[in-house]
Amino acid sequence: MAAKKLRRAQLSQEMCERLSRYQITTCQDFLCLSLLELMKVTGQSYYEVQKLLCKVSRACAPKMQTAYEMKLRKSVNPSSAFLSTTLHSLDRVLHGGVPCGSLTEITSPPGCGKTQFCIMLSVLATLPVRMGGLDGAVIYIDTESAFSAERLIEIAASRFPTYFDSDEKLLCMTRSIHLYRELTCCSVLKRIMSLEEEIILKKVKLIVIDSVASVVRKEFDTKLQGNLAERSNFLTRGASVLKYLAEEFSIPV
Amino acid sequence: MQREVGTLPLAPALRARLAAAGFQTAQELLDTGPCGLSKEIGISKEEALEALQVVRQECHGDAARTAGGSGATRKCTALELLEEEQTQGFIITFCSALDNILGGGVQLTKITEICGAPGVGKTQLCMQLAVDVQIPECFGGVAGEAVFIDTEGSFMVDRVVDIAAACVQHCHLIAEAQQEEEHGKALETFSLENILSHIYYFRCHDYTELLAQVYLLPEFLSQHSKVRLVVIDGIAFPFRHDFEDLSLRTRLLNGLAQQLIIIANDHKSAVVLTNQMTTRIGQSQSTLVPALGESWGHAATVRLIFHWDNGQRLATLYKSPSQKESTIAYHITSHGFRDVQPPAVTHSREGTELNPRKRPRTEEEKQ
Repeated sequence: MAAKKLRRAQLSQEMCERLSRYQITTCQDFLCLSLLELMKVTGQSYYEVQKLLCKVSRACAPKMQTAYEMKLRKSVNPSSAFLSTTLHSLDRVLHGGVPCGSLTEITSPPGCGKTQFCIMLSVLATLPVRMGGLDGAVIYIDTESAFSAERLIEIAASRFPTYFDSDEKLLCMTRSIHLYRELTCCSVLKRIMSLEEEIILKKVKLIVIDSVASVVRKEFDTKLQGNLAERSNFLTRGASVLKYLAEEFSIPV
Repeated sequence: MQREVGTLPLAPALRARLAAAGFQTAQELLDTGPCGLSKEIGISKEEALEALQVVRQECHGDAARTAGGSGATRKCTALELLEEEQTQGFIITFCSALDNILGGGVQLTKITEICGAPGVGKTQLCMQLAVDVQIPECFGGVAGEAVFIDTEGSFMVDRVVDIAAACVQHCHLIAEAQQEEEHGKALETFSLENILSHIYYFRCHDYTELLAQVYLLPEFLSQHSKVRLVVIDGIAFPFRHDFEDLSLRTRLLNGLAQQLIIIANDHKSAVVLTNQMTTRIGQSQSTLVPALGESWGHAATVRLIFHWDNGQRLATLYKSPSQKESTIAYHITSHGFRDVQPPAVTHSREGTELNPRKRPRTEEEKQ
């Protein structure tokens, strides 16, 4: 939205050309300037500039929805609002399970079972909807190389023996879990940015990142002054992209 | 009428030409007329007419102002302000201790900032306020609508449904206890669907969308004149990442603050912002301070800081023009924001989170 070119914001052609001479091509550049600067750059009067500002703002402002509309939309298909974890007390506390459309973070000291939980969630996501799953693929970004495919099959076979009764079903399930091994912060970020197309292509319904902390701690030593800012930069950028993906596709992350 | 040409809101190129041709005051321009103007400075007759119309509009505005006309001016006596403030409503938070330290609740026409660590309850309070602003006047509310601008994506509709249902039930109980006719009438319109349909929700993904939305807010508010609350949940989030140019960030934030103040005053609505906390690394220790820097601290009129203390949530009134600094404990139940039972008020004299730059208030000893 921010990088929307001014041309598409329905500004006149000559205005766009004039602005591009000052390197103002996107809505973001336009809105970052103060009114006086805009007057100087566009050569228009005060009132004209305000009208232009409104036009550009309308081009990139978000759409309005009332809370009621949101509720109606959610109540239309209630089952798709949560991914049940099949642990009943956990589901009760979480009001239904891992919520779709937002980020969920699992933290714990080492050895408590985070990776196991992630593997189980991956299996659950591939199950059909009638069994409580999301009937979709899973993207698993592994930074610790802790994912074990054999364990995946073991969980699937022993948890749902009636569903995974044939090898073929197991293979089908494993085919829909896409594993990416990323070992540096940059590659994790690049991978997250490229996820949008993959989600549409492969009909992904769950994104798991295991784990965010390990790769960040490896690369950024917090004792050095500049690293703190860079680290939080990386984290917030990744978080905002993931939030956008979660909301856009209504999937749990 | 002796306004200088340089101060008129004309295009800069036009102004430069007028200055070069020797025009100094607005009166000269008006005397010349469009044809003379176009001949002297070499612009078309239409452009000259347009410029003259702008000048005339400006001068009329000036004249109305100097003649003491109302509307454009923002001056009034303190007595008028006092009367206005006393009749103005507050937006209650359903936590009586918090309402007490705020002096009645969240004030209209002021900017309130809520800072806190993640998970302490900022978004919960915003959702509570978005419901509370709609309470009808006979129950002590302001009967307004709410605009919710979300930058972090933490708005959960189901939670708002819970809070709204509890609020409606509360009002029903009051109506039953008091048995007045207007209560019954008000309750008809104060239903779950109505509450939800009067919360206008905008999801902004980055700071450009936020800026654009705030530019468009005055128009939106004049179309929906019953809005009494604007919540921006997460003003820090879009400004904290991807910003190499800190001076640009300060400038944009200050511009935002100015626009919000204008919106709060013109439309008589309360503006509530939530801010994140950041760690300030001192010489030997690090403290949690509100994010976005010192200069942002001046933007909000009232500042509330939420923090944890041994599993208890506390709210501190950090900055306020009319109330004194104090800390209270609060609870977040399934019904929303509530008091701790029994409501306990702890004094903040022990210096836990006091700003070292502020002189601590000493209670006067009674002899």
